[in-house]
Amino acid sequence: MKRSGRMLAIYAGLALLFLHLPLLILAIFSFNVSPFTVWQGFSLHWYYAAFQDPELAESAWNSIVIAIVSTVASTVIGTLCAYGLWKRNSPVLSNSLYLSLVTPEIVTGISLLAFYQWIFRFWHVQLGMHTVILAHISFSIAFVVIVVMARLRTMDATLEEAALDLGANEWQAFRLVTLPGIWPGVIAAALLAFTVSFDDYVITSLVAGVDSETLPMAIYALARRGVSPVVNAISALIVFGLGALIVISERLRAA
Amino acid sequence: MTRLRSWFLAPSWAVMLSLFLAPLLVIVVYSFLTRGAYGGIIVAWTTESYRRLADPLYLTILGRSFWIAALATVFSLILGFPLALFISRSASRKNLYLSLVILPFWTSFLVRTYAWMFLLRDTGLINTLLERIGIIRDPLPLLYNNGAVVLGLVYSYLPFMVLPLYAALERLDPNLLEAAADLGARPLTALFRVVVPLCGPGIRAGLVLVFIPCLGAYLTPDLLGGGKSVMVGNLIQNQFTNARDWPFGSAASLVLMALVMLLLLASVRRDAKGLL
Amino acid sequence: MNRRAFLATAASLTACRDSRPRLNVFNWSTYIAPDTVPKFESEFGVRVRYGVYESNEEMLARVMGGNSGCDIVFPTSYIVAPMLANDLLAPLDHKLLPNLGQLEARFQAPDWDLQLRWSVPYMVTAAGIAYNRKLVPPPLAWADLWNERLRGRMTMLDDPFDLIGACLKKLGYSVNSSDPAQLQQAQGAGLQQKPLLRAYLNAEARDQLVSGDILAAQMWNTTAQQAMDSSAQVAFAYPIEGYAVYPDCSVILRESKRPELAHRFLNFLLRPDIAAANALVARTTTTNAGARKLVPPAFRDNPTLYPAPDVIARGEWARTVSPLSQRLRDRIWTEIKSA
Repeated sequence: MKRSGRMLAIYAGLALLFLHLPLLILAIFSFNVSPFTVWQGFSLHWYYAAFQDPELAESAWNSIVIAIVSTVASTVIGTLCAYGLWKRNSPVLSNSLYLSLVTPEIVTGISLLAFYQWIFRFWHVQLGMHTVILAHISFSIAFVVIVVMARLRTMDATLEEAALDLGANEWQAFRLVTLPGIWPGVIAAALLAFTVSFDDYVITSLVAGVDSETLPMAIYALARRGVSPVVNAISALIVFGLGALIVISERLRAA
Repeated sequence: MTRLRSWFLAPSWAVMLSLFLAPLLVIVVYSFLTRGAYGGIIVAWTTESYRRLADPLYLTILGRSFWIAALATVFSLILGFPLALFISRSASRKNLYLSLVILPFWTSFLVRTYAWMFLLRDTGLINTLLERIGIIRDPLPLLYNNGAVVLGLVYSYLPFMVLPLYAALERLDPNLLEAAADLGARPLTALFRVVVPLCGPGIRAGLVLVFIPCLGAYLTPDLLGGGKSVMVGNLIQNQFTNARDWPFGSAASLVLMALVMLLLLASVRRDAKGLL
Repeated sequence: MNRRAFLATAASLTACRDSRPRLNVFNWSTYIAPDTVPKFESEFGVRVRYGVYESNEEMLARVMGGNSGCDIVFPTSYIVAPMLANDLLAPLDHKLLPNLGQLEARFQAPDWDLQLRWSVPYMVTAAGIAYNRKLVPPPLAWADLWNERLRGRMTMLDDPFDLIGACLKKLGYSVNSSDPAQLQQAQGAGLQQKPLLRAYLNAEARDQLVSGDILAAQMWNTTAQQAMDSSAQVAFAYPIEGYAVYPDCSVILRESKRPELAHRFLNFLLRPDIAAANALVARTTTTNAGARKLVPPAFRDNPTLYPAPDVIARGEWARTVSPLSQRLRDRIWTEIKSA
């Protein structure tokens, strides 16, 4: 038993290494002077290049704005939806949510593009930040509902009943009893929604307008043109930035 | 009770109807129309797009997508199961390990795929190291083939396999394994005879969560496959860009979705509750 | 509640940063000098938003619906007719384009737009063979890319027109062929070649050629020139059998709300000094005769970008593909890529 336990631990270590090594290597080589995979010295100039590139800065800003707005909207809408479905399921709604989760991204993207183009005949909606944000809200909601629902299922339903018995109305019961109980789940859902939105390439690239290039789109354009250490630098920044975000949120949750 | 609930569900209904179901409806309609002379749509009803899909060429593409997705899924199951088992058994550091598994997922999908491009190229790190050590003389063609695509897919979706497996394994009673050992079972036998069947729902959830995105993958085969092998996602994307054949692309998309839904129905029916 | 209000104001603040008229230009990547847009902005007191794309298809997918928000895009010549057929273009007013006279004679009445009613030629690219000088004898013909010695060390362009075009040329046909028999033969050639290829790559191949991953590639002359700038080992050849020529033009979209300003931008691009700067930075062949006189002699005589007359004679303009042929070509493309 002991031996198998240790072998399992070794295996797990290797597996985790497999997951992290490529990113670590990417980060290490972002400090390499030369753009090739021969270490030729330490340098920060790829980072300077990344920061000085106005297009990159703008796409990063766009990504953040889009992610924040769509996260707030989808978390609110999704939490309310999860609560409503928890009270009493609506098969049509929950099946549509599930369907939106499993629809391949390329299909979601082109259906939204076709939809926007069709709407354009009546309503002059131009492709831009708002079309991207709406698209992100649409695919984030299912994620939020799943996470919050999982949390709701661990909650004791009788607590709300007790509150209602004590004279609270439905809204107060939700706000003062249930919501604080599921709050960690809501935060987790918001983090998930943020990540999914920040990271999205396929859907965003199809529905973005001229002024709404996002960071994944900028990275893709750079990557298509070949290996560029600037991409390494940006990737390292993203990995450590998001990693720090997670660590902070874990600390907050535990506190 | 119902009034508050209706208010709560209303925004979701609005979003689902207008931003998910309506676009799908548009695609369904498009799939029955005809391509305009140089792209675009002519309102002329036909089932031609679907009939074209019955061609062996496209069926091969679908078959290949299934094969690659299946390979990626099986590999991620084989790789992910021991990892999930280990995490479920480590009492104190469970959250740390889980965070470590999820952390790559929190980074950009593109970045993760790009990392493998960086590693696998002829002048990439792996080849450079092997050449330096002297194991090989000429660089190995690690990139731009189906193997690289499967590797990229496994790497990207491994967390999706580990998490449901972990969730199922965690609820397992550790006494069961002790009981099996008491009855004379060796660790591996106990594993396959006791543990695996009991976390069936977890395995099924993991299979579904990995297989479906792999089936519809388009970025990974595009970047890591060197454009040499066409999967369904590439086919669909091509119809909406190079070929400008929206009806055909819509038909292909709907067929893909129908297959996905069939798979889900087959898997969900065996479990009592779905994800939602 | 407060957080939401704050976010809303922040979002709206970012929107109303500037009240100058704004022009949205969507162009190929690395296709303009860095100071062209700022110069235009300061001369005319306007703002220009400049976006880039990597392929005609990417651009088309965006503008097809008529709601992209772009004013000016740069399609390749053979895309102009489909855009026109889909009612995407605004007619050009020559009174607002006095610099049209600066264009080279052969671009004053090109066959995709005889009166330049819809498009203004911008730069020209062509597809040829970029290779490493180590290769002796050098691959000077398309047929050389079917040679066993290049197995696993060459790439072709990830573009249906270029790939099928190369196959057609190898067989001695026109790149614009719509003859099903000829196209079938081209498919055969493409399938024959595939096992020898490393991958189908566009701009990515430049990097691989420079680093030595591959020894030869089908490449556009501008990309090849960029590779040659990075490495003296790289050379470029216009294939003996002939090659496709792609004039890129600027067009004004019908959806544009600022057609007059758009005209001014196009006129600005036609100024010899501006066109010269653009060509130098983008490493391309300019269609502007006045610009040609202004570029340094070394650039003007560069054989990759300004080949000798006999080489030019081998080139073929890429033409719009007929709808029927488009479907056949798309199928051939899928067959080859999926094999």
